[in-house]
Amino acid sequence: MRIYELTFIVDPRVADEDVVAMTQEYKQMIAAGGSTISKEESWGRRKLAYPIEKLNEGKYVLLGIESEDGRTSLPEVEHRMRQNDKILRYLTVRIDEDLKRAAAKHPPAPAAAPGTPAPGEPAPPAEAAGEGA
Amino acid sequence: MARPRKVFYRRRKVCKFCADKIDYIDYKDVKLLQQFVPERSKILPRRISGTCARHQRLLQQAIKRARHLALIPFTTD
Repeated sequence: MRIYELTFIVDPRVADEDVVAMTQEYKQMIAAGGSTISKEESWGRRKLAYPIEKLNEGKYVLLGIESEDGRTSLPEVEHRMRQNDKILRYLTVRIDEDLKRAAAKHPPAPAAAPGTPAPGEPAPPAEAAGEGA
Repeated sequence: MARPRKVFYRRRKVCKFCADKIDYIDYKDVKLLQQFVPERSKILPRRISGTCARHQRLLQQAIKRARHLALIPFTTD
């Protein structure tokens, strides 16, 4: 399964309802491409670190997208965003591999199987620090 | 000849991400990333921050993504 994150910045002059409507449209496109929306975050108006198209603020929206078979309509969505001049920026990132790698390195807590002694002894008492003042 | 030998010491730098067990550096975590982009907004080199190679690579990627989304600046003038 592939997991993507699609973040985009909308022109702050666009009304909130219209941002919602736009987001809805993109979500429908994504759904039509056979992926599911796993997360939706609206960060609202946020100051940009540098001006984009002479604007100092932008409205951020983040969508989490999951695709079972790796086929998505993301290229189409990106194409639409490029054409929409109300979208100042967008970024699509595939994160499943990174998350998997991270989970493999430090598995989340409830992974302790019964009968498996925890590796490593409990934290030793703080030794005298080798650093003098 | 017990001459007091000059003791050098250098604080041992430890990779922050290894210490905190961070394996996925999120480009949205502006607070975290900002610690690695000082005033001029250049990426802090490993030799200064002590970040290990693997994490520096992940960090670099995250910073560049954050820059694209105007979460952190490319430069300050």
